[in-house]
Amino acid sequence: MSYLIDNREGVQHLLMGNEAIVRGALEAGVNVTAGYPGTPSSEIIEAFSKIAGDRNIYAEWSTNEKVAMEVAAAASFAGLRSLCVMKQNGVNVASDFLLHLASSGTRGGMLLVTCDDPGALSSVNEGESRLFAKLVEIPLLEPGDFQEAKDLTTWAFGLSEKIKNIVMIRSVTRMSHASGNVTFGPLPETVPHAEYSCDGPLLDTETGPVISMILAAPELQHGPQQEKLEKAARLFEDCPFNTYTGPEAPELLIVTSSACNLYVREAVHLLEIDDRVGILKLATTWPLPPNLIKQNLMRADRIFVVEEVLPTLEGNIKILAADMAPETGIKTFYGKHSGHIPSVGELNPDIVVSALVRILDIDYRPADATFEYEAAALADTMAPNRGMTFCPGCPHRASFWSIHHAIALDGRNGFVCGDIGCYVMGTLPSGYSTVKTLHSMGSGSGLASGFGKLKQFGLEQPVLAVCGDSTFFHAAMPALANAIHHKSPFTLMLLDNRGTAMTGFQPHPGSPVDVMGEPAQAIDIEAICRAMGAKVEIADPFNLEKTQEMLNHLMEHGEGAKVLILRQACALSPERRGKKKFDVSVDETICIGENCGCNRLCTRIFGCPGITWDNDKKVSRIDTIICAGCGVCADICPVGAIRKKEVA
Amino acid sequence: MQCFGSRELVDNVIRQDLCIGCGACNDLCPYFRSRKGTTVMLFPCTIAKGKCFAHCPKAEVDLDELSTTFFHQRYGTDPLGHYDAIMMSRAGANAGTASFQAGGTVSALMRFALERHYIDGAILTDRKGIVPTPRFVTEPVDVLACASSKYAAAPTVAAVNRAIRKGDTNIGIVATPCQALAISKMRSNPLNDHSFIDPVGLVIGLFCTWALDMQAFESFLSRRIDISTIKKIDIPPPPADIMEVFTDKGKTEFPLTEIRQLVPETCSYCIDMTAEFSDISVGVVEGQTDVNTLIIRTDRGRELVEEAVSAEYLVLSDMPGEKVEHLRWAAGNKKKRGLAKAKEKAIINKPAGTGISYLRINDETLNTICP
Ligand SMILES: Cc1cc2nc3c(=O)[nH]c(=O)nc-3n(C[C@H](O)[C@H](O)[C@H](O)COP(=O)(O)OP(=O)(O)OC[C@H]3O[C@@H](n4cnc5c(N)ncnc54)[C@H](O)[C@@H]3O)c2cc1C
Ligand code: SF4
Ligand code: SF4
Repeated sequence: MSYLIDNREGVQHLLMGNEAIVRGALEAGVNVTAGYPGTPSSEIIEAFSKIAGDRNIYAEWSTNEKVAMEVAAAASFAGLRSLCVMKQNGVNVASDFLLHLASSGTRGGMLLVTCDDPGALSSVNEGESRLFAKLVEIPLLEPGDFQEAKDLTTWAFGLSEKIKNIVMIRSVTRMSHASGNVTFGPLPETVPHAEYSCDGPLLDTETGPVISMILAAPELQHGPQQEKLEKAARLFEDCPFNTYTGPEAPELLIVTSSACNLYVREAVHLLEIDDRVGILKLATTWPLPPNLIKQNLMRADRIFVVEEVLPTLEGNIKILAADMAPETGIKTFYGKHSGHIPSVGELNPDIVVSALVRILDIDYRPADATFEYEAAALADTMAPNRGMTFCPGCPHRASFWSIHHAIALDGRNGFVCGDIGCYVMGTLPSGYSTVKTLHSMGSGSGLASGFGKLKQFGLEQPVLAVCGDSTFFHAAMPALANAIHHKSPFTLMLLDNRGTAMTGFQPHPGSPVDVMGEPAQAIDIEAICRAMGAKVEIADPFNLEKTQEMLNHLMEHGEGAKVLILRQACALSPERRGKKKFDVSVDETICIGENCGCNRLCTRIFGCPGITWDNDKKVSRIDTIICAGCGVCADICPVGAIRKKEVA
Repeated sequence: MQCFGSRELVDNVIRQDLCIGCGACNDLCPYFRSRKGTTVMLFPCTIAKGKCFAHCPKAEVDLDELSTTFFHQRYGTDPLGHYDAIMMSRAGANAGTASFQAGGTVSALMRFALERHYIDGAILTDRKGIVPTPRFVTEPVDVLACASSKYAAAPTVAAVNRAIRKGDTNIGIVATPCQALAISKMRSNPLNDHSFIDPVGLVIGLFCTWALDMQAFESFLSRRIDISTIKKIDIPPPPADIMEVFTDKGKTEFPLTEIRQLVPETCSYCIDMTAEFSDISVGVVEGQTDVNTLIIRTDRGRELVEEAVSAEYLVLSDMPGEKVEHLRWAAGNKKKRGLAKAKEKAIINKPAGTGISYLRINDETLNTICP
């Protein structure tokens, strides 16, 4: 049994922030959960799926974030409690539905959990989702520690039901992935019943159809929506998760939220200034409760706002402060606009310390500035510097090898439009720098569809795109339909590695089993593409020669959009993990190493981590522990020094 | 000879439009390959002195050094190069029949050389559609399948490199002048490899004034005819000034003035019309479609021709003096034009250390041909 459903009240467990959110939802009696994988959010649906049977929960990895939100909303409309979860970029995808949902309102408590990634540690950007709460006019909550991640989640369901609208909870990587002690509350024992009442009058929020339709009468829906927000602000005035610690009248009031709360506490502790500064930690960051803000602004004339990433809270407080100035007096603000805190990247206690030292003019000598460089240099001597690369035996390496060759040999300066997945590394030397555009999910196919139509303006370059199997379902299908319909000539290489590999191998609509382990209807990508009208070929990327040949052929022949499905399971997939197809070895007597005729093709260019360079003997060798046994390197070695033998 | 690496090859040959796509740099290593006549570097290589540069016929070709290696004398002033005899020839009764380009001399000699084990294998140039495709042939009759000229420049030397890597020796090659030059550079062991053994047994050179850029040729033809149905392409000997393309639908003629637009820039720098660095050179004879000009340059070439004649694979006749002089005049013209262009572009005889030359040639010969 998972510790997440430990039913002993008061017991403590060490939980990751994401697990604390799951436990909070369980304590609120959540029924339906849906999401799309994306770091740092993925553990939440994984955790729900593992206890789905025990707690009668429905969990799914949806086709994309918008669908996930729709699935969760349906449960709410039927009176259940539901939660959808995604990373920050996912909120962009879901935002179309979110805008409408915020307008129609919800019934059963419904949360949008978004896990932002300041610093873009595992994202293509650090775009933040908090602004959506303001944009679509819904409440935003941000837990300031691990206990709160649980408690605030439970509380949020009640809030959602009180205001009849979706509530957004925003975590960040350091909250989602770090761990802390969490004291458990009770798990409810009620058995929910789902029913969608929709026969009542059109705008009856309890019994009518749930619709988002203003039709030139904003007062009918937009007005009530804003009243919900005002109600939330009133409830936030007494929210137990907004706390103040520090002297009654500090020299400086720090306002913070989320993981920055932890950085601020550490900095204040380090500088030993608890008697000089006060900390207002806000869990309800939109809408801000005006009275609470006013009371706290009265405490000090100097206000320092610490948050990640953009000056969102800072801006909102300043707006209130401007209105309140006649009562509170004029404040001096420090934060991102003043340049004390960067508005790019993650924060940490050091950044907060140096800001505080400047603001309060403290004589504090942090470690010498050169320390960081010295430490990095020292680390380099102990751990080799390794570039970002694909795993040993990764089919993407083989695919990009062939794509690179095909484009180079084609000689017309072709290029690949990419999108999100492990294959973002197609932009780097590890993917032979073949990918030349990189944006959101599915956008490679959309861009390629557009590039393909530029022939009439003289674009002669062959246009290609890559997209993963999960991404295909998520967002590439509309782009492909567009290209096929408009006869845009491009070649889509569908890197079908049998799962959502980048985020931990979650199933997608092409998988035969769902996240809860139930048999699912696997959708045939090839049949879809054919039915859409594309010319479809399938190749095994491990067959380099055939793949290159097919690609060159597709680039040169035929009209309109063509699809090459490059099918080979991810090296970490359950079907390949730990199972070697080949025993691979290097014949040292044949390897010509650095000499003319090879010049270390395998270790200098091909770059599979399973091959290493023996600098003493000047030959390559296979690291049999790391090697995944795909055997592709045997086919690239120009002199046949790499041997592969099928594992019996 | 000054030798450099792949970077210099790319900068001084490929990027300068000097590459003819002979294939000499292909398949030596994983970095250079060609497709449809275009030579590409797939990945950067860091080796300072490479075979790719050393074998390229458009980079640091030291004519005196090569001439000394193969003919034991420096590069002379005769535009026909070093030779023994010039005659006319055609395939004999035992050579078999095929759609020979002219007299079938080349196919006859290659077939004979394989049959009598003068050589153990032959690198010839076949075609796939209109793309010339090198082929390694060991069965004598297969020589006939490769008869007739493919007018686009071909990466024939790449197949030589592949054969050598497989360990083949005593290889015979039919080569255009640039390809023959690349092969002789390779045979001179420019990187002083101690384990080097000459893998080549025979080189039959073809006369050449130009070849066509493969991709330009393909797009020219495909805009005018259905290229998938092409059966044969021919340029009848002068004074006819046309290219004939035979398809399912019959013959289409294109004036050579249009075809010459498709000749790559590099051919205008080329100074060799008669494949001077070969055992035997073969061309057409002006005004005659079924006989060849034959130039014997080496002892091995003479021996092969004599044996082939007595086995009735080849029939010889004398070449009238005025035809020889006309050939010399034509070859001299090509040389003069090529040298003048190389001078104009300042890629000839650069003092060592001041940059990379395309050609190196002694002053006497240079000034005699191109004052
Ligand atoms: C590109 C090109 C340009 C030529 N220009 C002239 C010229 O200006 N004046 C002249 O007198 N002769 C020229 N020739 C030579 C001429 O066309 C005949 O090849 C030659 O006379 C031999 O005739 P044959 O009947 O003996 O040939 P065949 O017996 O038909 O044999 C032809 C041989 O040529 C080889 N070959 C065909 N195409 C190529 C190619 N692209 N690269 C390398 N080898 C090839 C084949 O392997 C085959 O063995 C040219 C040939 C080529 C390929
Ligand atoms: S060797 Fe031949 S193919 Fe290579 S660069 Fe020189 S001319 Fe071009
Ligand atoms: S003219 Fe010279 S460079 Fe051009 S194809 Fe003929 S031999 Fe080669």
